[in-house]
Amino acid sequence: MVFLTPLFLLGLFAALIPIAIHLIRKEKPPKLMFSTIRFLKKTSKKLILFQQIQQWLLLLLRAAVIALLVVAFARPLFNLSVARLLDADPQSSVILLDMSMSMRYGDSFANAKEAVLDLLDNMTAGDEVALIGFSDSADLVRELNTDLGSMRTLVNGLDQAGYGATSYLPNLRLADQLLETSRYENRAVYLISDFQEIGMDNSDESWKLAPGVRFTGIDVGEQESSNLALTDVRSPEQLLEEAAEQVILARIRSTGTVFLQQGEVTLTVDGEIVDRKPVDLTDRSEEVVTFTTSFVTAGTHVGEVRISGDEFSVDNAFYFTVDVLPKIRVLLVNGEASDNWFDDEGHWFGLAVSSAAQSPFVLQTIAPADVSAAALNQSDVVVLLNVGGLSNAQAQALTDYVTAGGSVLFAPADKVDPAEFNQQFAAITPANLQRPDVLSRDDYLVIADFDSRHPILRPLSSDWVARFQGHWSIVPAAEAEILMQFDNSEAALVERTVGAGKSMLFASSMDLEWNNLPLQGLFLPFVHETLRHLVQPEYKQRAYQVGDSFSLDPTGTATSMEARDAAGVPIVFNNDGFVIKAATPGMITATADGLDTLYAVNILPSESNFTRAAVATLYDQIINPDTNPVQSSAVRTAQLIEELEQPQRLWWWLLSLVMLLVVAEVLVANRTYR
Amino acid sequence: MSESLNFLDPTVLAGLDNLELRARIVVEGFLSGLHKSPHRGFSVEFNDYRHYYPGDDMRHVDWKLYARSDKLYIKQYEDETNVRCVIVLDTSASMAYSSGGTSKLEYGITLASALAYFINRQRDAVGLITFDEKIHEYIPPKCRQPHLMQILRTLARVEAGTTTNTVKPLTDLAASLRKKSMVILITDMLDDEKKVIGTLQNLRAMGNDVLAFQIMDNAELNFPFNEASEFIDMESNESYITTPATIRKAYLKNLHEFLDYCKKQCQTSGVDYCLMNTADPLDEALSSYMSKRAKSF
Repeated sequence: MVFLTPLFLLGLFAALIPIAIHLIRKEKPPKLMFSTIRFLKKTSKKLILFQQIQQWLLLLLRAAVIALLVVAFARPLFNLSVARLLDADPQSSVILLDMSMSMRYGDSFANAKEAVLDLLDNMTAGDEVALIGFSDSADLVRELNTDLGSMRTLVNGLDQAGYGATSYLPNLRLADQLLETSRYENRAVYLISDFQEIGMDNSDESWKLAPGVRFTGIDVGEQESSNLALTDVRSPEQLLEEAAEQVILARIRSTGTVFLQQGEVTLTVDGEIVDRKPVDLTDRSEEVVTFTTSFVTAGTHVGEVRISGDEFSVDNAFYFTVDVLPKIRVLLVNGEASDNWFDDEGHWFGLAVSSAAQSPFVLQTIAPADVSAAALNQSDVVVLLNVGGLSNAQAQALTDYVTAGGSVLFAPADKVDPAEFNQQFAAITPANLQRPDVLSRDDYLVIADFDSRHPILRPLSSDWVARFQGHWSIVPAAEAEILMQFDNSEAALVERTVGAGKSMLFASSMDLEWNNLPLQGLFLPFVHETLRHLVQPEYKQRAYQVGDSFSLDPTGTATSMEARDAAGVPIVFNNDGFVIKAATPGMITATADGLDTLYAVNILPSESNFTRAAVATLYDQIINPDTNPVQSSAVRTAQLIEELEQPQRLWWWLLSLVMLLVVAEVLVANRTYR
Repeated sequence: MSESLNFLDPTVLAGLDNLELRARIVVEGFLSGLHKSPHRGFSVEFNDYRHYYPGDDMRHVDWKLYARSDKLYIKQYEDETNVRCVIVLDTSASMAYSSGGTSKLEYGITLASALAYFINRQRDAVGLITFDEKIHEYIPPKCRQPHLMQILRTLARVEAGTTTNTVKPLTDLAASLRKKSMVILITDMLDDEKKVIGTLQNLRAMGNDVLAFQIMDNAELNFPFNEASEFIDMESNESYITTPATIRKAYLKNLHEFLDYCKKQCQTSGVDYCLMNTADPLDEALSSYMSKRAKSF
């Protein structure tokens, strides 16, 4: 038992007061003349003895009341460890354990675990400690507590470091925050790491640990290291069928303290080794290795660049995917074909679609009269340039085509009858035509506003300088989305989703009759992006780095998904968006709606850099020169006492006992000489 | 003693006039004037005059006086007194005890005065003995009015004495009594009660009529003390420290044993016994006593 305010125990001397009064100032009872005492003297001796016992009991009760009051004010506690806490200088500490990829090198992580256990062994019962396992963020957090045994168990259970990068300051901030709620004024942060230079973040040099917080850096890194690292790999993400041979670049650098000069790089595609190339760093610090290969078949190809020749294999592989896409079949319905290219409505569009050496499109041009369901079904997208006079059957075929998943782009001009257009394409057109609006020769409109977040227009954010002298005044459908507007606030480009397909309407021509857009540099990418958008879903990033959080759902519409990480372990989702945080390098396979999607996860190349920094550098950066604690030790001790005493409340029970003794004293005293 | 004399007020004594004492006197023939004395030809020594009452022997009428005053007076002779009553008053220190009101001694003096007055009015001879460890005053029984006044003055001078020795005055009294007399003992009996009652029994055996008034204070009877105190015996000055609340039951038990002993011994030996509480009114105590005395006949 310990006493939180032991000075009160001096009051125990007060318990001697009743005894002293009893022994020294034994008060004589009042004298009373009585006729005779013969009847008093004949009373039983037992009564006399009982009377004496009562007097002694009364004396003991009074002394006990005083003693218990004193003990209650001294605030006793049943906890021997508390005594040590109060007598010793208990410590609140946070242990930061580096679990970045570099700690996998050699025995670094094992040494780090030993260092943590040594720290725990040197702590005394009552000390509180927190543990943060970190890389670029806190991967493992155990908040402040005094259960050192469970902390040891936790540390012993750590198998290996992770694959993340190193960043000290965010985790030091977290440690500092944990210590804000510490019980004790004696606070310390222990950082156990290999002290990579890349972990030093100099972006916030003004931040310091709280005043009074001690910092100790424990370097467990290997003094010597040798490593060949892939610092950069360049590979294509998407290709078209029949694309030319692709070049894959791999940049290799020796990043350890011991410079490695020889190595070998291997390119593997779809599990088959494509090529091996030696690495020679004899006369250079890094070497760029070039691989050439072809991706013939459509679909997703998995590639891996792997380096050998060092002892640290964790950073020796780089994973990537290459999507080979089929060419887009474009059916151009030219409503104003002409032998004179200047008057040909489809001339400029055709140039834009098929002029590139590796055009992703296969263009087929037909007259309006040739529009048929068969022709439509052999194309991925249909473009109607100034097409009027289609029969209702052709219009219905087009409607069916779009509803079934096809795409159509309308670019009406002077050949189009608005009433007929609106009637025939009511089910699929994103806007109804009102009237053609052709301005005078010196007047024109420009694109005043556009949705820069739309996939078509996102890469076309530069100024639109095209001049429009003629356009259709249109009324967008309720479900249509306006993507571009003229400066007279009328819609220029609208989009509508129809069934499984899409339709778009450009409210002007695609030749030089109503505007000079085909002469603008934006025309070709505008056409390409528009056609690609109408046919292909938006490309989703497939390459990530360890520590990135991303969704495995490529379209954002999946209702269920099965996924496995690089080791083949099923991934359990705890959110609706199928978002994961990449933890291990390799290929993640996600299956949604029967369609497999592959994601490549690679380590951060910077983590392979074993260049080390001095612990003192970090110490100087973060230690607070103001060593005065924010709170005085007395205040912290008072808080500690409050926390420890609250669950026991022994003084409350003692005072209750005092109350009972006082009642007993009153009862006995009323029957005894006072 | 002025307060004590208030008990001699006729209104107090009027209550006794109606009680059974008068009937007893008739039966015993002690009180002359109420009926003819059973004792004839006793002493011719003139003692006093008194008014004639119907029934008086005409031979004792003083005709000469009648001729001078035209009133009938009866010559009274000393031997004509029918009852010789001696009041024996305990004046020991214990009788001085008082718990706040009238002390036992004052109460006893008042009682003795009332009895003397009453007896004297009945034309009986009354005497007085005061004692503690020895006899302080002895007034032989006489029935003259000045004699009563002597008794009353003597009572007015009485002060508490020292220890008690009841046996000696009673023994001396028994030796001096030549005729059957009435002995009225007023005491708290805080002596050797066996010897006291033995002496009373002797007096009774000698043909005397013995009345014992045991005077007790209310505090003695109920022992109402609570606070621990040092009790000092008023006669022996012996002290005893105790907590009354603790021993109250035992005290009362001892006291009642003592009182019961006195009462039973008196009753079995023909001694009239009356326990009187100083807190009770004197007339009620006398009436209660006379009522008890009447039942005994």
